Order: sequence, then structure tokens, then C-alpha cells
Amino acid sequence: MPALPLDEAGKYVAAAYVVFVGLILAYVAIMAAKLERIERELGELAEERPVRASDGVAVQNSDLAAPVAPEPDDSKRRLDAGRAQESSVDLGEASGGGVP
Amino acid sequence: MKVPSLRAQAAATVAVLAAGFTLVFFYAPLDTEGFIQKIFYLHVPLAICALVGFAVAGIHAIRHLRSGDPVHDARSYVSIHLSVIFGIAVLVTGSIWAKAEWGKWWVWDEPTLVSFLIVFLLYATYYPLRYAIEDRERQARYASVFAITAGAFVPLNFLAVRLAEPLIHPRTFSSAGGLPGSMLLTFVVCLAGLALLWLSLVRFELAAKSASARLSRLRRALEGEARTPVASGSRIAPGLPARSASATWMNDPTTPRT
Repeated sequence: MPALPLDEAGKYVAAAYVVFVGLILAYVAIMAAKLERIERELGELAEERPVRASDGVAVQNSDLAAPVAPEPDDSKRRLDAGRAQESSVDLGEASGGGVP
Repeated sequence: MKVPSLRAQAAATVAVLAAGFTLVFFYAPLDTEGFIQKIFYLHVPLAICALVGFAVAGIHAIRHLRSGDPVHDARSYVSIHLSVIFGIAVLVTGSIWAKAEWGKWWVWDEPTLVSFLIVFLLYATYYPLRYAIEDRERQARYASVFAITAGAFVPLNFLAVRLAEPLIHPRTFSSAGGLPGSMLLTFVVCLAGLALLWLSLVRFELAAKSASARLSRLRRALEGEARTPVASGSRIAPGLPARSASATWMNDPTTPRT
């Protein structure tokens, strides 16, 4: 017997697995598009960022570095010391009403 | 305990899912239902992950109400989001199985199907409820109350379905017999793969929200710079980590939230 006999019940089985894969791929594609937009906007912000060396560093350079890495740089540093607690503020800003 | 990186977890997810689906089609034997039974290895773990995810969202909601920490609200939201997506897959794959086995896409007098649909529709109302409230703190609080209430419904629903008679929906684990070893192994690997997928997607979405929040914070900081000179009272203070400055912003009730 072949692994997927498409002439019998196999078409239903194939449909079920294709629907599942399609759903997950659609979700990942939407999230990737969102991350790409964030990265682009962060790049634009980095270009527009005023140079104010004499006044001090108003915007942390770490905020502009590696903007859309799944694990932000500073959270990596704090991973062992309680990553969830550190990320709470960021997520809170997003979730407090900004969750899309 | 060290948390693996998202990339490593995603790779593990793909590997376990690939192994599981390979076992489904090349190892697990056919039962009396025939080939259509292969849907079971996808449909049932998806349903388990979705229901457990709803319960996890309720637990995070309880932690949010107890601590007021918005990270738990975010986790509760993302858990519900992913579980609703898994729920859609459960309903679609279940309908496909029903069409092949029963000749109908949906059977209304089957408690398993209808109760899952009720749970799914219940959680679908989470989004309009949440976004009908403008105030962020109230929004998070009400959403948490909803997640707890609906989460309590999940085990009740599970019990009600198990006690319901007559049953035409197959039982995955019953007191009489159970799955043969090869089918059980395949099922467990698929369940592990889909659970890993759920966890990976939750982390992925949380990371995306974190990046989005950083973008908003930078915008606010730059807008502040454009309006006023940088002073010692700036929200993102020199020398302070950005997150600490953001925490100050979060805890300052006088700060307008744009």
C-alpha cells in the first residue's frame, strides 16, 4: 500500500494535513510580515535619530541594535536572572491595549 | 533551568513533527477505520493542545490579577490566540474526518463536536470583548476575568463530554483496552511535536510583541527629544537600561499613553 492512497480516503487525509500546514504557514507568514515592518520602521527611526552627543545619550543604542531579533540583546544578558520578568515591561506595553 | 533559544526550539519542533508524521504514514498500523484514521494523529493532539492552551491562558490570567504584571496578560492573550488558531484546525480536520467517515461535515447531536464548538465560539468572543474597552488597565483586567471564567469551562466541558451518552465520536483513551503500542508511540510523538509547535509559536508572537513595544518606546523617546531638550528627568534617562526607563513610564500614572 502506498503511504498516501489518494484514490480512497487518502484525499481526506491529505486535505486535513494540507489544511493544518497551510494554517500554520499563513500564521507564520503574517507574523514574518509584521516583523519585517517593525524592522523597517526601526531602520527608519535609526536614520532619523538626532545626533545629540553633547546633550547625552537620550536613546539607548541598544534599542536600535538588532531590533527584531527574537531574543532582544539585553534580554539575553538577563536570561538566567529571570528573562520573563525582564520582558514583562515590553510585553505589557504591547498587551495593555496595543495587542493587535 | 536554562530556556533554549527560540531558534533551537523551532528546529526541535520541526524535527519532532517530521518524525511524528513519518511514523503516522510509514509505521503506525491501520485500524478498522482504515486509512482515514491517520487524521486522528493530527486532530486529537491539536484538540488537546488547544484545550490545554486555553487552560494555560486562564492560569496566566490568574497570575495577572494577583500580581498586576502585564506580562501575564500578554501571555494569556497569546495563549488564547494560538489556541483559537489550533481550534480552527481542530474543527476543520474534524469536519474532514466526519465527512469521510459519517458522510456529513457536521453532526449536531454529537456532544463532543458541539461542546468543542461552544468552547471555540466562547473564546472567539475574547477579542471583541477585549477591544471594546479603551482603558488599558480595565481591558487587561476584564480580559483576565474572561480567560479565567472560560478556562474553568474547559475541564467541565471535557467531563461533560466523557459522561455524555450515546457516543458516536471515537474515544482516544478509554478504560477498555486503549491504543496498541505502535499507535500510542506515534500519537505521543505527534502530541509532543504539536505541543512544541504551540510553545514555539507562543514565544515567536511574544518576541514580536516585544519588538513592537520597543519600536513604540523609541518613537516616544524620539518625539520627546524633538519637543524638549534632553534633561535629567527624561523618561529614558541616560545611563539607565531602556527597560528600566520603560518600567518607570509604565508605573507613572500621570504619563499619557499614546
